[in-house]
Amino acid sequence: MRDPEHSQGDTDALIAQLARDARLRRPLAHPLRRALGWALLALGFAAAMVWAIGPRADLAERLGDARFLCEQGAALATGLAAAAAALALTVPGASPLWRLAPVVPGALWLVTLSLGCLRDWWAMGAEGLRLTPDPACFLHIALIGSLPGLVLYLMLRRGVPLSPRLTLALAALAAAGLGNFGLRFFHAQDAALMVLVWQVGSVALIAALAGLAGRALLRWPGAHAA
Amino acid sequence: MKTAQGRTREAVALEPLMTRAQAGDNAAYRALLTEVAARMRRLVRRRAPWLSAEDTEDLVQDILLSLHQARGTWDPARPFLPWMVAIARARMADNARRYARRAAIDLAAADLAETFFDAAANTTEATVVNLMSVRKAMDELTPAEKQAVDLLRLREMSLAEAAAASGSTVAALKVAMHRAMRKMRGTLWKE
Repeated sequence: MRDPEHSQGDTDALIAQLARDARLRRPLAHPLRRALGWALLALGFAAAMVWAIGPRADLAERLGDARFLCEQGAALATGLAAAAAALALTVPGASPLWRLAPVVPGALWLVTLSLGCLRDWWAMGAEGLRLTPDPACFLHIALIGSLPGLVLYLMLRRGVPLSPRLTLALAALAAAGLGNFGLRFFHAQDAALMVLVWQVGSVALIAALAGLAGRALLRWPGAHAA
Repeated sequence: MKTAQGRTREAVALEPLMTRAQAGDNAAYRALLTEVAARMRRLVRRRAPWLSAEDTEDLVQDILLSLHQARGTWDPARPFLPWMVAIARARMADNARRYARRAAIDLAAADLAETFFDAAANTTEATVVNLMSVRKAMDELTPAEKQAVDLLRLREMSLAEAAAASGSTVAALKVAMHRAMRKMRGTLWKE
């Protein structure tokens, strides 16, 4: 059994050890700036994947379609906001409002797709809301989000796991959101309900799974997994 | 007045030390950690007065290790104390969860030990099997983890004594011990 003086001696020894380990450690940049840097890398990777797989035949026409641009803009903004929020959550003392950053673009994304469902139903009736299996969406989103997701995870590890589950869920939302953004440049599927279920559904599933792994993957030094 | 003076002292003393620590100044970092340890000790005693002196000190050490990991996240343009307190609060919450979990595991382990090592109830063969289980769990450990268990649990040395005896560091022993306990619990509970 140790006495209090011994315990305090352990702390003094730990302080000496940590002080010896101290090396130059530049302060991390603002989360938004880091998120922008990450987004550039993620978009570069997505562009490379689109080039490798081959862009969709009607891409030029889609780029002139306001609805397509609106949905893509909302997906991109959601991914970027989620990345900034995830990075901010690893900074002690950062505003808790950061965790709400993806709410507005995410809601805009869902609203544009929901309105798209209504328009499809109005234009084509029940045929416009037909749901067919499209599991390739999940694989493509996971593929395009893989490298950016890994990079973001390594960036998160430079901070601390104050809310590991939410942090990792937001990071996965960011990576998968940008994955979905890239997917739509080569995957010719624009029926709003299909996009909502298979693409946004895949993004949500990936974020939820990552959130479950949060405590195991983002840990304090020497801490147990929950 | 005293509070105002204290606040002024915090603002003057800690931010410059942390700025110098981020620049790699070992002496400033040591002074900062010493000051933080004293303040965190007071904070932990105030927030969790039921903890033993040993557990309080373990928690202070966890907070220091966490500060070390997090030191790149402090922005010199922002005050130091809110940043430090956010780390301390998170570590205290984690510690409370761990403490509750450990208490539950220790209770279950005590029940198991009573069952396993009750001479009247167990045969010699059963005792041997149980000891083999523990030995098997030890076999899963790395040499550093085995040494940590040996020095800290079997010989009941303090961290500082074990560090001196093994030529290791307090920080390395803490990490090795945490990992060893987790692995052994995993192995024994699987059986």
